[in-house]
Amino acid sequence: MAYYILKRLLAIIPTLLGVAVLIFLLLRVVPGDVVEARYMGEGGQFQSQDLMQIERKKLGLDQPLWKQFTTWMWGLAHLDFGLSMWTGAPITEEIQLRFALSLQLAVMASTVAVLLAIPLGVLAALKQDTWVDYAVRVFSIAGLAMPSFWLGILMILSMLIFFKWLPPMVFTPLWVNPWENLAQLIWPALAVGYRYSAVGTRMMRSTMLEVLREDYIRTARAKGLWLKLILTRHALRNAILPVLTIMSLEFAFLLGGLVVTEQVFNLNGLGMLFVEGIARRDYTLTQALVMLVATFFLVVNFVVDIAYAWLDPRIRYR
Amino acid sequence: MRRLARWLALAAGAVLAFPATAQAPRNGGELVFPVPSEPPSYDGHREETFGLIHPIAPFYNTLLRVDPNDPGGTKPVPSIAESWTVSPDGLTYTFKLHKGVKFHDGSEMTAKDVKATYDKIIFPPPGVGSTRKGAYVVVAAVEAPDPATVVFKLKWPSASFLAGLASPWNFIYKADILAKDPNWYEKNIMGTGPFTFVEHVKGSHVVGKKNPNYWDKGKPYLDGYRAIFMRDSAAQVAAVRGERAHIQFRGFTPKDRDNLKAALGDKITVQESPWDCILMVGINHTKKPFDDKRVRRALSLALDRHEGSKALSQIAIVKAVAGVQVPGTPFATPPEELNKLAGYWTDPAKSRAEAKRLLKEAGVPEGFSFTFSNRGIPMPYEPLGVWMIDQWRQVGLNVKHNVIEARAYFGVIRKGDAEVHMDFQCGYIVEPDLDMYKFLSTERNPANYGFYQDPVLDDLYDKQSRATKPEERKQLIRQFEKRLLDEEAHYLMTLQWHRIIPHSSKVKGWTITPSHYLNNTLDAVWLTE
Repeated sequence: MAYYILKRLLAIIPTLLGVAVLIFLLLRVVPGDVVEARYMGEGGQFQSQDLMQIERKKLGLDQPLWKQFTTWMWGLAHLDFGLSMWTGAPITEEIQLRFALSLQLAVMASTVAVLLAIPLGVLAALKQDTWVDYAVRVFSIAGLAMPSFWLGILMILSMLIFFKWLPPMVFTPLWVNPWENLAQLIWPALAVGYRYSAVGTRMMRSTMLEVLREDYIRTARAKGLWLKLILTRHALRNAILPVLTIMSLEFAFLLGGLVVTEQVFNLNGLGMLFVEGIARRDYTLTQALVMLVATFFLVVNFVVDIAYAWLDPRIRYR
Repeated sequence: MRRLARWLALAAGAVLAFPATAQAPRNGGELVFPVPSEPPSYDGHREETFGLIHPIAPFYNTLLRVDPNDPGGTKPVPSIAESWTVSPDGLTYTFKLHKGVKFHDGSEMTAKDVKATYDKIIFPPPGVGSTRKGAYVVVAAVEAPDPATVVFKLKWPSASFLAGLASPWNFIYKADILAKDPNWYEKNIMGTGPFTFVEHVKGSHVVGKKNPNYWDKGKPYLDGYRAIFMRDSAAQVAAVRGERAHIQFRGFTPKDRDNLKAALGDKITVQESPWDCILMVGINHTKKPFDDKRVRRALSLALDRHEGSKALSQIAIVKAVAGVQVPGTPFATPPEELNKLAGYWTDPAKSRAEAKRLLKEAGVPEGFSFTFSNRGIPMPYEPLGVWMIDQWRQVGLNVKHNVIEARAYFGVIRKGDAEVHMDFQCGYIVEPDLDMYKFLSTERNPANYGFYQDPVLDDLYDKQSRATKPEERKQLIRQFEKRLLDEEAHYLMTLQWHRIIPHSSKVKGWTITPSHYLNNTLDAVWLTE
């Protein structure tokens, strides 16, 4: 198991290096830079090339690409992400603010998803082709068909029209005021969690159906083992593997991918920061965010691999 | 006795009429407003976005400001300056400053600070960028002969100089701080304004509280304000509709206005104004057949601006048919005169027939195809782009719509590859010098993406800029406009933007102007409850 873990850990390094090269080059291929984004955005009348030159020099954009890349990599090696080209503030400060919100939302949405997906998927499999199964399938297909931001808009409008109430507009950390915090985040968590549970429910149902038809389940039933025990000890443990993969990847996605939902609920999260970083050609910030999300994906993948190996010993011996 | 009775009646009438006509400002309350953009830094001298002005302007004062009660938004009035005089030759402007103006750190604001501020803007030290240096080329020197006097020496008389000093961007900074670090204000806030800085949570909000030592006694009325950064327009509308926010100072769409009015009735007050922003069509003179003025004129003649205004104002933030000045402002061309220019005629059939004739004469075949590059911003670029393409189709032109991502847009256009494209300009005050600078020859203004040289036009610009008699200046502006939009058709104007601010009826003391960069000091704003 230790060799397996080491092998998986070492594979992370070249992947991250590849991501770094790719994002560095891709950002510079896109037309425009942060100076143009700053001064050409609102139709100001007196932009001068001198000003542009001064600003580019200040940001190091006048340096050759190889130098910009090595400076950035040197910083990364020291865990120094540098300064945002747009705000001039340290990137760690920019990310730190949004990370707490995004992580909490990802955890809450994942909890909602897991709480819905696993029991509903198992129930649908057990009650296959009954009205319960149909109801679960309609519920999950509706979740897949509805974008979470649209569901979010419906939620906001319903709250506004029927209850004359809106969630708080500004994020309050959980430890400062739990009520305010939950009053703001529960709605996006429900909207995103429902969408995300739909994928899990359908996957859970199909893998459970497959497992329930396996010989060892039939044998367990023939031996007169309790259904509850068969499900929890034998069926669920095997059926949950693909669901685990999908849900963990979705969790990593939730961290930086909820752009529109964040907009609708006015959440100051990483998704919005990401999009703004790209739109403003804030190279340093975008690079740091990509590296952060890539690392997060790799770590989650790593944890899933370990969980796989733990759940299914055949994997670690391969 | 009869006289006394009359006086008593008048007094009683005045008392009864008072609540209906002029309510006394009420002290207290926190104004909450969403801001659709966020300041990159806090330095007004450096930035160009309203995302800085809306949350940060209340911490500062400027030397002059645009009269906050003038809906036309063109009159410079004193702010930190108490009064001014102009020398007979128009070359020396002397400003007397208010006494007792204090920075938020308690130190006295003097002429030295105003000089240092303007020196930074007009004559920045090496390595320090100044966004608006080009707007003050007329200034030869700024002097501070005594603590209460600032003198601006000009190189030539300028009709727009006072308007330039009313710029909402020119926050007065402290000289000692600038001397130590000219970039200090990028990351710090310390002004003389009616509110003091409390906090800025990045991506979330800015909070300001009442400055108890504000020099304009009795103001501000509010206890404070909270500017909440909110990109999504649906979220902004929901915030106003849910009475979580009082006002959004940039503007809403006609549909948002109607929805808010329908939902909240009298709780919403709507203020509207022509907006000092306009989308223009830039025509690349280096590309054939657009080097031919007959083709450019035909493009303008194809547009039925009057009908377009009626239809588009229902769905987009555009309305008035305009020339080079915002309609209704002192130097704007009256409609009857404007309607004589190519593309402004009131008979679209005649206009289009002339467009077809010109195209034929220039050798442009029926069904000629070209690409119109547009910026990837839905409102109002998209509806205007679609409308224009349809108008051009009606004179036999086949136009492809090439939408380019917003931030990359000007980088692409500047390269000169686009044939016809959407261009844009927005001003903080309606002033011909500022509004017409865009159209000078590319040699003088590299941000002219028509890529033409027109010494006649440049000369007219310079003459109007130095004409200190309003009538003379007006005539020169008319000539400039005729040459730009009709004779040469270098650029085409679409429709003037239209600013719509539906706000809570609790908000008083705020008047809409044509610019969303103005009237954000909030010193006179108050809440009824």
